[in-house]
Amino acid sequence: MSKQKPPRPKQGDVRKRRKNRGTDTIQPVADLQTTSSQHLTKRRRSSIRAGLAVMGGRTAGALSRRLHLGGGTSIAGLVAQRLYPDIVGHLSKQLAHGSILVTGTNGKTTTSGFIAAILSDAGLRVWRNREGSNLMRGVAGALVIRARPNGNLRRAGQAVSIFEVDEAVMPQAVRTIPPRVAVFTNLFRDQLDRYGEVDSVSARWRQAVSLLPGNTALILNADDPATAQLGEFFPGKVMYYGIDDPSLDLAAQGLPAERHQAIDTRTCPHCGGEYIYSLRYYSHLGHYRCSKCQRTRPEADVRAVKVITDGIDRLRMQVETATQQGEIVIPLAGFYNIYNALAAIAASQALGIAWDPIVSGIEQFKPAFGRGERVQIEGRTLRLLLAKNPTGFNEVLRTLFNNGTFRHLLLVLNDNVADGRDISWIWDVDFERIVRHTATLTVAGTRALDLALRLKYTGIEQQDMTIVSSAPLRAAKSVKRSKAHSARQRRRVSTAGAARGTQLIATGEGGVINQAPTRGYGIANALDSAIRGTPVGETLFVVPTYTGLLEIHHELERRGLTPHYWEEKGP
Amino acid sequence: MKDAPAPRFTLTLGHLYPDQLNLYGDRGNILTLRRRCELRGIELRVVGLGIGDALAPDEYDMLFIGGGQDKEQAPVAQDLYEIKGIGLWAAIEDDMPVLAVCGGYQLLAHYYRPASGPDMRGLGVFDAWTIHKGAHVPRCIGDVAISWNGSTLVGFENHGGRTYLGTAKPLGKVLKGYGNNAEDHTEGAVYRNAYGTYMHGSLLPKNPHFADFLIALAFKRSYGRTDRAAENLDQSMDQYNGSMPAAHRTKASKRPSKSRSRSQQGIADDPVTFLPPLEDTLEWEAHAALLERMGLYSAAVDALCRYREVGTVLHLPNSSPALK
Repeated sequence: MSKQKPPRPKQGDVRKRRKNRGTDTIQPVADLQTTSSQHLTKRRRSSIRAGLAVMGGRTAGALSRRLHLGGGTSIAGLVAQRLYPDIVGHLSKQLAHGSILVTGTNGKTTTSGFIAAILSDAGLRVWRNREGSNLMRGVAGALVIRARPNGNLRRAGQAVSIFEVDEAVMPQAVRTIPPRVAVFTNLFRDQLDRYGEVDSVSARWRQAVSLLPGNTALILNADDPATAQLGEFFPGKVMYYGIDDPSLDLAAQGLPAERHQAIDTRTCPHCGGEYIYSLRYYSHLGHYRCSKCQRTRPEADVRAVKVITDGIDRLRMQVETATQQGEIVIPLAGFYNIYNALAAIAASQALGIAWDPIVSGIEQFKPAFGRGERVQIEGRTLRLLLAKNPTGFNEVLRTLFNNGTFRHLLLVLNDNVADGRDISWIWDVDFERIVRHTATLTVAGTRALDLALRLKYTGIEQQDMTIVSSAPLRAAKSVKRSKAHSARQRRRVSTAGAARGTQLIATGEGGVINQAPTRGYGIANALDSAIRGTPVGETLFVVPTYTGLLEIHHELERRGLTPHYWEEKGP
Repeated sequence: MKDAPAPRFTLTLGHLYPDQLNLYGDRGNILTLRRRCELRGIELRVVGLGIGDALAPDEYDMLFIGGGQDKEQAPVAQDLYEIKGIGLWAAIEDDMPVLAVCGGYQLLAHYYRPASGPDMRGLGVFDAWTIHKGAHVPRCIGDVAISWNGSTLVGFENHGGRTYLGTAKPLGKVLKGYGNNAEDHTEGAVYRNAYGTYMHGSLLPKNPHFADFLIALAFKRSYGRTDRAAENLDQSMDQYNGSMPAAHRTKASKRPSKSRSRSQQGIADDPVTFLPPLEDTLEWEAHAALLERMGLYSAAVDALCRYREVGTVLHLPNSSPALK
């Protein structure tokens, strides 16, 4: 595609310094003719500070990588931000094609992946915070590692940056990086312990939208009332995307159990009336209208009118936009990826990208980190499917168990800060779907026992799953050591032969407590056990939470099976 | 699930506001009650009671109210006060077991004062009140463990409001976590058989003794006595019905199936006969693992030992642990 000239920004306060942007490499000093000499010194000083921050950040990042503490991107950003709080603003201003911000509960990574693929097919240099750290420090890190020690970005001339931004930091992100395009994918309950409640995220988003520059294009999911309503707060250009395919309605598919499913937005923000749905795809996504004030779902500008599931890992959809229509094959499974692709199409069209790179970008998309990527291991195929909240989890299960095939499954539930400390959401996941459809089932993670309990109450027998906790239960050991009399008691009841006796025997022999020493702990053992259970040539599906995915990746790297994700080369 | 005996008894659980107050995996509590009943040959019917539905106390054996967001809580508070209030009060005064978690707990106290907006009037079942001190005061978020009836309860709490108890008795003493208000180490509130708590996560799966306790309360109340002292009462249905309070009598006459099963099988003199112990190793390991994660190592050992020795202890009010 031809190089997209960014619209000339208004001479507004925040964007003032960006006005000289062009397709050539720009220096922040380029518009000096128009500024005063004080301004010059100020600019120089900030440039020096930025240089220092860049060097500090990159050193910290390199150190952290060398010491195997992690990818080093977040720490680079953290240090750089400490040295120069406005480092993100300073660097992002140099991007010739500006920035795209993507936020929402689910689909940030895949959506920005689609956009990145499309834009690089269109001939742009795309920068992302692809390592998955979507707090401001991750954004800062992504810029810092591409900056020169003089505080300038390398090859900023062709560059467009796509940042996935955590829901809660969106107002802050918008303030620092006035975007050309802002995408809101959806809003579900996720990490309630960190965000408080879904409503408080909604409030932050409204604030973020009010901070957007007037020439930003706002891309919203029409099917999610929580994102669609944001359009009412924005006077500029708004594009909606959505699905117009009645055959995908839950009721049409005969899934009454979904009534209990996590539904996170039920009432209209204006009048508190309940939403009535004429079509519901999943959770609160669908065609809705408020029962009181009659506000309805906005018409979608980019819409999927026909969606066909094409095997386990492909979706075929017929897309219509204002100017184009055609079929696009999404090389990913999962209903939510329709939305991700539509969001990417809308964002690309807002940037004026032609249709061909849009189609090729999506069709040749390689799954992002933990979003269905494939790894070959000991003759088996491993597929990693991140699931970090009830809706995401339900969609993963719906994809895997929609046609009665038996699956080999490894579930990893962690409760680290990045996952959310609260795991009560597992009780809102429709595990009923997987009962009697798992060939083998391994449960792992810091809260493996909780997940096993959830599965037990779904109706999966304990002997049908392998539980590999991340750490041994220390208390169980001292129970065994100190309780000689309990062993006596066990003998006594076993001779009595009562029902209670057999139960205690079962506790002694079959429970996790006694098997613990032979089974082992931790993700490596869980992975081994799950792989052993999967016959050669078959596929093991790994469904981890966020830090579980990091652990799996780390373990696979240790075995030399995946590239270090932070060393992945950008397109 | 396999080998669940054919149901001999029926209990009905009224689930209040399943569509509005459903934020924190409360489905886990219902699933747990249902399954633990099912394995004992008790069918647990769950009836959803939404906004506008009346609550007829005779039709239920147990009630559950979950938690929701502030926005969703306001219409619920109004409905609870205006439509279900009388029925709920009657049920609670008649010793019906009620479990109210988080938002539901707040609405059973005198009032909830949100950070912004008008107070929500509660039912005043618990002599307690809740104040949300605004966005600058951090929410009480994290794992929580309390002592209860000589054992422990574990869960996760996430609440902005701080609850202060008047004369209400707390459910337990906080061992780790915030509890009602992060100040006085109390958690939850109790009035008759109504239990309010901030613990979700979900509460009942990891606390099988509390789940069984609630089932036993419901069973005892609806099917007669659970203690030996009342054994003789079973011999004559007429005599039994005559001695029951009015509410029970109407219930028994409305439900011939219950009376029949009672006279036929002569049940319920010992909780073990109607709530036989279950295989709860996984439950107690999850319970102990969470205690251990909170650093309550000896409590974890105690919980496992107790289970090893006597299984899931069935606590009943005014009686010693039944399985001793």
